[in-house]
Amino acid sequence: MTDSSERPLEVEETNRGTRTDEGWLSEYARDHVVHGLVIVAFLVYPVVYDLLGRSPLASEAAAFLPGLTFMIAVLYLGLFAMSFDFVSGYTGYLSFGHAAFYGTGAYAVVLATNGKIPGVPADTPFVLTMLLGAVLAGVLALAMGAVSFRLTGVYFAMITLGFAQVLYELVRNWGYVSPNPSEGATVDGGALEVGVPYVDSLGLAVGRLTGDSFENVLGTGFDVSATMTSYYALALVVVVCYFSMQRIIHSPFGKAMIAVRENEERAEAVGYDVFRIKMGAFAASAFFAGIAGALFAGYSRSVSPESTYFFLVTADALIVTIVGGIGTLAGPLYGTVFHEWLGDVLSTEDDGIATYLRETVPEGLLTTDVGGVTFADVINSVVDGRAPLYLGIVFVLFVLFVPNGLLGTVRDRLGGTVAERTGDVLERYRR
Amino acid sequence: MTGDVVALTAAVPDVALLADAFGRFFQPSTFARLVVEGLGKAAVYFIIAVGLTLVFGLMGVLNFAHGAFAMLGSYLGGVLVVVALAGGAGPIASIAFFVVAAAVVFAVMTVVGGALEVTLVRPIYDRTPTYQILMTFGIGLILEETTRIAATLRGVQPEPPWLKARGTLPGFLETRYDVLGANVRGFYVFEIVLGVLVAAAVWLFLTRTLYGLYIRAGSEDPEMVEALGVDVRKAFTVVFGLGTGLAAVGGVLLMWDPLWGASVLLNIEVLLYAFVVVIIGGLGSFKGTLVAAVVVGVADSFTTWLFSTGIVTFSGLSEVTVFLLLVVVLIVRPQGLYGVEEVGGH
Repeated sequence: MTDSSERPLEVEETNRGTRTDEGWLSEYARDHVVHGLVIVAFLVYPVVYDLLGRSPLASEAAAFLPGLTFMIAVLYLGLFAMSFDFVSGYTGYLSFGHAAFYGTGAYAVVLATNGKIPGVPADTPFVLTMLLGAVLAGVLALAMGAVSFRLTGVYFAMITLGFAQVLYELVRNWGYVSPNPSEGATVDGGALEVGVPYVDSLGLAVGRLTGDSFENVLGTGFDVSATMTSYYALALVVVVCYFSMQRIIHSPFGKAMIAVRENEERAEAVGYDVFRIKMGAFAASAFFAGIAGALFAGYSRSVSPESTYFFLVTADALIVTIVGGIGTLAGPLYGTVFHEWLGDVLSTEDDGIATYLRETVPEGLLTTDVGGVTFADVINSVVDGRAPLYLGIVFVLFVLFVPNGLLGTVRDRLGGTVAERTGDVLERYRR
Repeated sequence: MTGDVVALTAAVPDVALLADAFGRFFQPSTFARLVVEGLGKAAVYFIIAVGLTLVFGLMGVLNFAHGAFAMLGSYLGGVLVVVALAGGAGPIASIAFFVVAAAVVFAVMTVVGGALEVTLVRPIYDRTPTYQILMTFGIGLILEETTRIAATLRGVQPEPPWLKARGTLPGFLETRYDVLGANVRGFYVFEIVLGVLVAAAVWLFLTRTLYGLYIRAGSEDPEMVEALGVDVRKAFTVVFGLGTGLAAVGGVLLMWDPLWGASVLLNIEVLLYAFVVVIIGGLGSFKGTLVAAVVVGVADSFTTWLFSTGIVTFSGLSEVTVFLLLVVVLIVRPQGLYGVEEVGGH
């Protein structure tokens, strides 16, 4: 039962290096065409969504496209899922306690901003408290990993889960965090800014209510709401984190991580210090999970044990990782897009299919009685708020029929990472 | 501010209280009460965990749908007792009907579990264990949500425990009795009796039946079992079904338990506690599960008492202790108390 048939190795150095005539810059650009396209898509989405909202298709857009608040959740949860995949998908060690790092990042920001971390003044810029939370998460990972990496398989999954649950119970009952710790804690102070620390003009305040908003930007008559500002500010951090992780994956260290996944004994025999590789990967992944948690705390300004340290937070990351493709770094992000999209269209929080049907389906049909059940009842019971059910079904179908996930399957078809293959295809058309 | 910093360590008790508590602790009545209550909790832990260990022992599948099966069992059992006992019934009739309900739920859920194994789990045995975890977790998610929908449609709140089902607990189990010099609620004794019965039944199944033999052999050396010509596919279906049935019986008991109660939250709660017990005992070991259930149950009852006396002011003490036990056992003895070293690794 080797993994090699399941997940394609990414050690495809193919026919590079033969193109010495090209400059490194054009080659670099060639490799990142897809990344650029995805980033552009994320950049224009809020504008497109806003424009659609003013067009005749407004109610359709509201019903079938994810709203901006859900796209913000995509950013921080997607980053968390990517960090989960970074260690679980690339080294093969399922980190079932990953929520502990997310929670550490989130609580570090809230506590630091409220002046409750000794030695950290309450007015420390958000970017610094975010880094503090991430470093704390990384240190926690080193402590956990030091004892956990003696185990493998389900035992590793279980010991990390055990650690996370211990922390969950501690935070839930620790009166120092807030007067009512089981309900969580909130940020007391002003808005938190993403940007260059201590330079006020180079920072963007985030938060649904507290974020910066700009009216009539550059005279175009276009307003940028606080939510939209938060979206772009968070996206900036996520992009930086993604490229950092991508850089590590494609470095010799990343190749060694994959070697550990494919055959740990062999990697050790070849001379790799596998313990250090695993520890390094775990700490790096915890660092980025901490950043994700900090972004969540900075944007939502309130954290609870259930939304940060609890096992189900890890479980969600696991689900989107499988849907998006385990062992592909960007896959979990697409899985999260799917998850949040499903959550939005199947709830009435931000206009979904249920609202749309209730408004557009004629009243007569809504109240038509078939065996004691009306169409309105059907909407209420099988559409409204039923995202977890359909997510579960999709998840099971993916495990059965698409085990490599969205991105993994695409990668299999193309015979290499999407970024590389797209570059090659473009190359062919340029000549 | 530094005063606040030590809030976590403020769990340090003052000396007089400690001395007083020590005095009370060594009173035979307190000690006996805690032991009996601990054994009652242990019985619950054992019943919810034993099915998980059977399935892992033979199949090497860590069943993440186990909690969902228990949750389903609690609701099915709840429906049965609410329908039958709503008008009130005598003590004997109540207990008798509880046993009938548990037997019916066990039979139904065994069939359900077997069917799920054939349709959903069987196609992925040739993949890595991760995918079996994922598949069973997905099954659990779907079961939880369908139960939530069904309960809401029938006008039952899915999240706080279902009080109507819990209300059918006969009064004589609520009152306190003197058992072995300890003053405990009748329900704990009921739990212990039920736990012993289930343990005896599972033990007889393991030692006196063909499938029991397969499981015991399978947890030692799965490849050899296959090589000897055992129809593993059929054995897997039967054992997965039985594990599901046992989880559901645990659920029926939880429906009456004042500390749990029937709710969709059981999916995750039962799963986490069953994991703790099974891992501490050693995956796939019946004896280990029994011993671990007693260890966890007694630890739970003692730490709950420590908090209730005010010696420790930290409210999450018993939960933290349980999960710390898991972590410590995994560090000191990764294969669990009675586990086989090879099982469950890569």
